Amino acid sequence: MAHAVISCLHANLAAVEAVLDDIDQQGIETITCLGDRVGYGPQPNEVVELVRQRAIPTCQGCWDEDIIDGLNACECSYPSQLAERRGHLAHQWTEAKMTEDNKAFLASLPTSLRRDKLLFVHGSPNSQHEYLLPDMNAFAALERVETAGAETLFCGHTHQPYVRELRGGSIRVRVQHHDSSSSEEQEMTLPMRRIVNAGSVGEPRHGNTQATYVIHDEATGDLTIREVNYDVAKTCQAIIDAGLPEVFAWRLSHGFEYAERADDASHVCER
Amino acid sequence: MSQTWLISGPPGCGKTSWILTTIRSHPGPCGYLRLSGLSEDGLEQGHNAGIDLAWLRDQRPQLQDLSQSDQQCADRADDQLNLIELQQYRPPTDPGVDGIDPRISNQLKALQLEPDRALHFGREPELPEQDTLEFNRLEAWNLSLHNSVWDPNSLSSFWFELVNGAYGDVYRAKALMNLPDGRAFFCNWIVSQQGSQFLPLERVEPPTGRPDRTSELVVQGKALDSNGIQSTINDCLLSDAVLDMHQAPLREQQPDLFQAKR
Amino acid sequence: MERWALVSGLGGDLEVYEQIQRELKKSRGLERLFVLGDLIGPRHNSDALLKRLQEPERGDLQPECIYGWWEEQLLAERGYRGERTAEALRINHGNDAVEGLLTSVDSGHMTWLASLQFGFIELDCALLHGSSADVGDELKPTSSPLILLDRLTRLDVNRLFTARSAQQFRLDLNGGAIDSHIKDLNGEQNQQQAAPKRSVIGIGSGELFSLYAPGSDHIEFLKAGGKPVSRGLGFG
Repeated sequence: MAHAVISCLHANLAAVEAVLDDIDQQGIETITCLGDRVGYGPQPNEVVELVRQRAIPTCQGCWDEDIIDGLNACECSYPSQLAERRGHLAHQWTEAKMTEDNKAFLASLPTSLRRDKLLFVHGSPNSQHEYLLPDMNAFAALERVETAGAETLFCGHTHQPYVRELRGGSIRVRVQHHDSSSSEEQEMTLPMRRIVNAGSVGEPRHGNTQATYVIHDEATGDLTIREVNYDVAKTCQAIIDAGLPEVFAWRLSHGFEYAERADDASHVCER
Repeated sequence: MSQTWLISGPPGCGKTSWILTTIRSHPGPCGYLRLSGLSEDGLEQGHNAGIDLAWLRDQRPQLQDLSQSDQQCADRADDQLNLIELQQYRPPTDPGVDGIDPRISNQLKALQLEPDRALHFGREPELPEQDTLEFNRLEAWNLSLHNSVWDPNSLSSFWFELVNGAYGDVYRAKALMNLPDGRAFFCNWIVSQQGSQFLPLERVEPPTGRPDRTSELVVQGKALDSNGIQSTINDCLLSDAVLDMHQAPLREQQPDLFQAKR
Repeated sequence: MERWALVSGLGGDLEVYEQIQRELKKSRGLERLFVLGDLIGPRHNSDALLKRLQEPERGDLQPECIYGWWEEQLLAERGYRGERTAEALRINHGNDAVEGLLTSVDSGHMTWLASLQFGFIELDCALLHGSSADVGDELKPTSSPLILLDRLTRLDVNRLFTARSAQQFRLDLNGGAIDSHIKDLNGEQNQQQAAPKRSVIGIGSGELFSLYAPGSDHIEFLKAGGKPVSRGLGFG
């Protein structure tokens, strides 16, 4: 049976509606959300209520935690003062805009969800703020999944979707105890494990403006990354109507993150 | 016998770069003047914020500032080469000094300058071939950044947004920007060229507070969102406290050299 | 050739510390002494030892100290860790243990204890009380090699010295490999990653301490007042 995993909605109603529509059209009924329903985007209440109404199980993202616990809870460091100021502004705006009921709902979310051998987290099993990047050390990546007692780990937070399969692994170990003059070497075979990043529905960072999510067929094991078009202009107008910085609309319409530094050729060399 | 050349051309065609190359290759002393141009129909002049003079003097400290009218002709050496830069969108009707607009000649006369040659980019074979754009309508906006210091990563983000259209259709952007470690950069972008220039100034200020030197931003384009630009810049500039946080470790590395300004 | 002495878990016991210092004086080539946390503990009043660590006597090998689990509990209870308190100690040993800890250390030592670092990085070696994940992380010879490799990778070091388990051991990760297949919106790629050769070394606790020569990668497990426990494993 196939199920869908969505993440990082960021209060972008048009994107969320388009993705749910895409999932519905494929006849998929089981959906899991990996958090960050709010943050930067112009429709936090609408997005939270839509996901609640659809009864989609969700784990708590770093932004969800941030809204509840205050900015001190967020250990994400911004790469620049500009990004930090924009992040703080977005946080204050979102916190003021959200209803108490929706905030209470975000506070009730668990930090992870588990279904059989599938584990769903926002960042990593260690933290909502840890990025599991596709090129992180393979052994460290395997450790994240294995220590959490899962076979497939679904995560978000990076806004860049990928499927990573770790297989054929082994480590040779030799232990010497304090009172033993000899030691033995053993070869430990490592299990096959997968990390699946669902990308972002509401704030894509993979190079274009399409929303992304993943579909997992539990019967065959197939994993598919889906890209979905949505009415970006509609969200951009909502950003402006909401009184959020107009540059947020520009960044979203060009497929850039709202407040991090985008890669560009005009980087000022500091050497 | 000193020589005076008038170099004109539209924004971003490379006047200042050519002037710098000429100054470097001239064996004798040089003088420089950036003249306030004439706003042509629908085409605003970029404010003469002193960016080019500051940049050229950083690269060649002996460069004489010809705008100081109290300097008499007698102060100018016999082998001096004076270069006058003029932003002018449309080519002169006549070539050479005959084509100089009388209003420009009058400005020069008041400074005791009379050009021997007049070269216009896009017309003279002697000047490098650059993409000179056809301008129909252009707005200009400028901001003094005197005493301001940028968070370096924020400057990267702001510049990227500016030249890629986040604040309107920008054709030309030019600035002198200060960083907390005392360095400054000449930032230069024209829509016809790939990528921006970021050229470090030779002079590095000590990490003892806010630098006291020319720092400006000049932007030319269409539908410029000056409020948006200003708002973003405000978020990029360092407060006194944050500036001190950047500078204190640099002072500690060489305590004898630097003492904090009071 | 430079050698390091590695000590932990003194728990306020000045006598054990003095015994170790006497033995270190007899050892050749010792240049540095690292005290990897748990300077204080529940069994002794720690004031005399803390004073000695801060003001070494003539002839002492100068100690370089980091904080350990017990210091973390005390610092938290005394308000040096934001909102946190000695929750772990309270849960495991009750309020009496927390009270006992507070009375075993004079408040005059708190500034110095608060200044101690989490660990040292020296010559591609991490010297920690627990691990790079947490001060209370107990790394043992039976710990999963994946976890041990992760703790080494977090700091990108070749050797990790740990004291939390109180055991003396050396666990060598001697290589291996894993295949990684990545699929994203740009396509697919395969990579093979080799497991680096790295080691985790438990240095012991209390009277059990260790001597390490970074140049030859030679470890010696010792017991204060006793014969050498093991000549250890080395490549020199």
